[in-house]
Amino acid sequence: MRHVLLALMLGLIPSTAFAQKDAKTPDPDPELERKTFIVAPGFEVNLFAADPLLAKPIQMNFDPQGRLWVASSEIYPQIKPGEKANDKIIILEDTTGKGVADKTTVFADGLLIPTGIVPGDGGAYVANSTELVHLSASKPGEKADKKRVLLSGFGTEDTHHIIHTFRWGPDSHLYFNQSIYIHSHIETPTGVKRLNAGGIWRFNPDKTQLDIFARGWVNAWGHAFDKYGQSIVTDGAGGEGINHAIPGGYYMTSQGPHVQRIMHGLNPGSPKYCGVEIISGRHFPDDWQGNCITNDFRGHRVCRFKLQDDGSTFASREMTEVIKSNHPAFRPIDVKLGPDGALYIADWYNPIIQHGEVDFRDPRRDHVHGRIWRVTAKGRDLVVKPKLVGATVPELLEQLKAPEQWTREQAKRVLKEIGKEKVLPELAKWDPKLPAGPELDRANLEALWVYHGFGATSPRDPAVMDAERAIARVGGGKTPEVRAAAIRIIATRGADDAELALAAGEQVKFAEHPRVRLEGVRALAGSKRPDAVALALAALDKPMDKILDYALWLTVRELEPYWMPEFQAGKLTFGGDAKKLAFALNAVGNKDTVKPVLALINGGKIPTENVHGLYLLLTQIGGPDEMSMVLGHAAFATGVTDAQRNELAESVEATVRNRKVPAPFVCLGLTGLIRQKGPVPHATLRLAGLWKVAENRADLEQVAASEKAAVGNRAAALEGLALFGDAKAKEFLTGLSDPKQPPETRRLTLIALAGMDMPTAATKAAEFLADAKPEPELLDLYAAFLSRKAGVPALAKALAGKKISPEVAKLGLQAVRTSTLTVPELTDALTKAGDLGVARKPPTPDEVKVLVADVEKADAARGEIIFRRKELQCMACHGIGGAGGQVGPDMTSIGASAQRDYLVESLLIPNKAIKEGYNAIRVVTLDDKVYLGIKVREVNGLLVIRTPEDKEITIPVKDIAERGETKSIMPEGLTDTLTKQEFADLVRFLSELGKLGPYAPSKARVVRRWQVIDPTTENLNTFRRTRVSAAAEVDNTFVWSPVYSLVSGDLPLAALPKFTVWNDTAAQTVLRFNLDVTTAGAAKLKVNSVTGLSLFIGASPLEPKTETLLDLKTGVQTVTVMIDRSKRTDDLRIELDDVAGSPVRVAIVGGK
Amino acid sequence: MFLSAAFVAFTLAAPPAPFELKDGDRIVWLGNTLVEREQRYGYWETALLAANADKKITVRNLGWSGDTVFGEARGRFDFNDPAKCFKQLVDQTLALEPTVIFISYGTNESFEGKDGLPKFEKGLEKLLDAMKPTKARIVLFSPIPVDPSDTRAGYKGAEARNADLKLYSDAIAKIAQNRDHRFADLYTPIMQTFAGWKTHRSTNPHLPEAEKYLTENSMHLTQHGYGLTVLDFLKSLGLDLEVSAAEKTGVLRQAILAKNEQFFNKWRPQNETYLFGFRKHEQGRNAKEIAEFDPFIAKAEDEIEKLRKELKK
Repeated sequence: MRHVLLALMLGLIPSTAFAQKDAKTPDPDPELERKTFIVAPGFEVNLFAADPLLAKPIQMNFDPQGRLWVASSEIYPQIKPGEKANDKIIILEDTTGKGVADKTTVFADGLLIPTGIVPGDGGAYVANSTELVHLSASKPGEKADKKRVLLSGFGTEDTHHIIHTFRWGPDSHLYFNQSIYIHSHIETPTGVKRLNAGGIWRFNPDKTQLDIFARGWVNAWGHAFDKYGQSIVTDGAGGEGINHAIPGGYYMTSQGPHVQRIMHGLNPGSPKYCGVEIISGRHFPDDWQGNCITNDFRGHRVCRFKLQDDGSTFASREMTEVIKSNHPAFRPIDVKLGPDGALYIADWYNPIIQHGEVDFRDPRRDHVHGRIWRVTAKGRDLVVKPKLVGATVPELLEQLKAPEQWTREQAKRVLKEIGKEKVLPELAKWDPKLPAGPELDRANLEALWVYHGFGATSPRDPAVMDAERAIARVGGGKTPEVRAAAIRIIATRGADDAELALAAGEQVKFAEHPRVRLEGVRALAGSKRPDAVALALAALDKPMDKILDYALWLTVRELEPYWMPEFQAGKLTFGGDAKKLAFALNAVGNKDTVKPVLALINGGKIPTENVHGLYLLLTQIGGPDEMSMVLGHAAFATGVTDAQRNELAESVEATVRNRKVPAPFVCLGLTGLIRQKGPVPHATLRLAGLWKVAENRADLEQVAASEKAAVGNRAAALEGLALFGDAKAKEFLTGLSDPKQPPETRRLTLIALAGMDMPTAATKAAEFLADAKPEPELLDLYAAFLSRKAGVPALAKALAGKKISPEVAKLGLQAVRTSTLTVPELTDALTKAGDLGVARKPPTPDEVKVLVADVEKADAARGEIIFRRKELQCMACHGIGGAGGQVGPDMTSIGASAQRDYLVESLLIPNKAIKEGYNAIRVVTLDDKVYLGIKVREVNGLLVIRTPEDKEITIPVKDIAERGETKSIMPEGLTDTLTKQEFADLVRFLSELGKLGPYAPSKARVVRRWQVIDPTTENLNTFRRTRVSAAAEVDNTFVWSPVYSLVSGDLPLAALPKFTVWNDTAAQTVLRFNLDVTTAGAAKLKVNSVTGLSLFIGASPLEPKTETLLDLKTGVQTVTVMIDRSKRTDDLRIELDDVAGSPVRVAIVGGK
Repeated sequence: MFLSAAFVAFTLAAPPAPFELKDGDRIVWLGNTLVEREQRYGYWETALLAANADKKITVRNLGWSGDTVFGEARGRFDFNDPAKCFKQLVDQTLALEPTVIFISYGTNESFEGKDGLPKFEKGLEKLLDAMKPTKARIVLFSPIPVDPSDTRAGYKGAEARNADLKLYSDAIAKIAQNRDHRFADLYTPIMQTFAGWKTHRSTNPHLPEAEKYLTENSMHLTQHGYGLTVLDFLKSLGLDLEVSAAEKTGVLRQAILAKNEQFFNKWRPQNETYLFGFRKHEQGRNAKEIAEFDPFIAKAEDEIEKLRKELKK
């Protein structure tokens, strides 16, 4: 290694030495690194341990003696052939209490990339590639010489995804995680457990009992439990910040039977986080208690989040960082509280992270360094390290009352290892000697966890049953969080004892605290009893929130095999409660529910707000008659809005396409919708073709041929006609594509014709292109050919020997790039026909080198303006701080993790390296259509992909003829129009994102994602019909486009669209943003200046003030901002702020 | 052909005839956790080589935890596509050009009980059809039983599990007979060993913790368990080994473990996503390293060869 480093410094390795002005191998002196730390006020950081005591720490956990066990790997990312796997588990010890490790023991070596470690049971549990092993030493204090394989069959498809994040739960079960690419198949005495994506495992080593605790995430590299046992999870590749994981829940990128709906993190738009710890104990100030500490390892920050109750879940808000740094190798990746109450941070120390994008053997990879940092509060006493090992059982039980969670957890470890024979008799006698109240309740909960840890005790053990019930039931412990925890304990045993689960579930009916109801709802899922579903649905009698709604949905689905037969036999009636029945049927949504849904609709007793949902459900589960019924409802029922009509028609169309539901015998509704006076849902025109409804053919022909009809209607009618697929349709379409027809008619017709007669369409298209104007609409025509397998060769052939204008040909090449297909035959044909020069080529390594060199002198501020240009489309796909498109990776801290050469190459050669989770797939269907996109999910024979346009498309797996992996969906050539300087500025901007400075991630609660009204004819007409303030009304019909604030949070006015409604009136700009309120209450809006502003919340005007008090109701609230542009030129900045004592939980809505 | 089938049927109850290995045989060993863990303990493979010390035999362990005759554990990103899972199982085997194939399935399938039996039989038949191009001699192993005396995990129903395992074991025997393949019964001798060990345990209260039980959890053999079932394994193949010969195999076993580790790193490398999977366009250039394991495997085989010859002396 040393000679490689030397070679690097001397510039002897030319291919890499040029690349990273910002990633050269730094001076490894820990003190130099420490000096870069900006530490939270009142805190300081000291070096606890560093190389050569340890190298490349991956995970760490303390043992009850206060020794720190560290898993480390020098082999990562990949073993070399012939190399002996020799990664280590080391133990760091501070024997003098000075806050510095003075003793290191190598506990185990010869391991291959151990990614998880937790001490216990006379040794340590270690993640060893495909296995979970227990290592122990025959002689205490010596190196491990015994290895037991406890579980095997974990996938290793990616060495930063293999099992990791080991932690003892409060219930003495071992929790550990796997990441998205891992496919695991683990044999246990009760069957094989399979998990084919990310998730959290819960393992009881005493019984080889293994369950999936929660599913999903990309790299769930952090999991901690709060003092009541609630799970907090962070993701090292997701972007949703702190996650509250509920038992059995599905989170982003899950696999499993219920992936139709997933839960989300509490901080959308966050950078990626690694590790998480919850602050507890006397060494930290009161306002830090219960805070989550996690690591933005890309941005060199240790971050802090404050959690507050929010209904059944939490609200999470970022606070000032614990540490921030600009040191390129500071990579905080794990965080744990220690025996002295201080906070310990493992620093992986590496200028290079990841091995997907950067070569396994890149010489800049560090394999030898590593640090453990220790954060303490200045002027506050440390906690005296408790004596746990060797203490008596009664002494250990007293420690369950300690203020430090560290002490309580470690005391439970010691008790567990002492064994139930000695502990349980003492535990039964134990009196915490506390007055009634939350402290006593918590002590009882700890005791209950000890019982549960022994696993103990048969469910019929009366002492345990009583303890559980006493705590779980009203009248026992009154602290709701404690009752919630007790219910979960019962739930984990519910599979063995349905009575217990049902008893726990009764809390759903009674409990006032939503988290108790949440746990009750989930506990019922384990009972496997038909009557449990009615108990769970009692949740609907009390206020619901998002997470409760999800939990209930999941429970109803998991219980379906038990209740559905009873329901169908008429034995289960839901007490005739239509709301509950509607919820249950909606959740299940399969063909078994058609009859009950019909009965419900025909019964006429459904609450109005449920009617539309039930008709939608019917489209998803019904057959031909139900489709007819839904369309009849859409066409003729009163109170159906235009938006609902559209949604119903689109849903029927999706059903007909995906499930091949044939035409109903009669469908008056379809004709009714097609011939109505109001806006015709486009889907109905296509449906007429899909079902080949003869009586509607003339309707379609009329719309298709009418130059007065809206373009969308014409396109749909033409597609509908093509779907008839017969000679008559072909004749009609060929006629409309005749050169005598107007260009728009021809273009629209050719798009439809490509769906039924490719050779004719191609010939006619070549003819059309020869004299077409270079309008952007041509992109859709090209796309019609590119999206069909036969389209590319047909068009290429038809263009042979033809001449088209260079601009028209360039549009064709643009369409090819957007499709991200590699189609040399068509590219050549377009280039020849348009007489263009040589086609675009990827840059050579030398060219990249020159471009990277230019970045040094470039300007990030100019780069930001370029990034925001509409024609570059960056923000259509990439967000910053959660604002912007969601198709590509969020850019919040890209500069802190990606090297400049990587950024340059990613812009010019998007296919070269792709962030995990963003690989696209290419699907060709039986009808020859080509789809590209990112797989969202695949369940029940339907594949859902997200297209480059951020649309979700559903494709029946049965219809797929070909399916393969493709690369990036980022089009090539997006930056080709930029000058050299502009390109360098853009890269400079990206390379600054996430680094300390003006482009660092911000915890300010500033509005970043806005919508604006463009001055289109339709919008202006609507204004003239109504008035400007109509824009603030709910269900207004304006078309809004997205705009985003700068990284700083300011929204520049100059670039915003403005309009005048009538002559001689002042120019206006109308903006809006949304607030998602999960608990009602007061909050403040802070505006940088109110000059020229009018504000509305909902439709109610607000008096413009720099600080405006809002009384927020639950739900999504819209704030509309109207700007008189004659009065205001200043940029706009709006922030959300707290009102002291307010219970409000509100987040600014981000996204596209 | 008919004659030999009739002979097998007739002599089922008698001690099985030895399964004969030939000089130069290449064995591919398919199965689930039982097989996968054997590669890291190596007792059975060592015994097999020691009992055939006069021949050069190579063993490639393709056991994969959680696997079934359908290749369910091998699909990786194609886990949703049964055809691709199965293809993996077949391709992995064929690529090694075996002359002998050991097939050890049924444990995981048997959780589906009697109802799942036809599906299992069909799956096994399909697997055997797919192995035909190798023209290899095939040995079908029965599953091992669960140890009814290991009740530490608190699971009830060991008898019901064993009834199912026996059911699947019998089905495997029947298919072996119909197809004229060798059937190797592990179920019966290992059940006897479990019973014997139970007695041993009750009469020796001071056994070291690691030796009290032969399984981790009633289902999976411990290291000690593999060691103590060596003769059961050989017996299932009609082979035997003098205890004195077995005692000399310690070094050979170490050499076998070293070979298994090198081979494992080659055939189930970490980071497959980047080496061969859908992200190979990024780091696929590193896949060339995988072939570089071959000389190390060959070297480990040479060591085994050397030690095997010494055993013979």
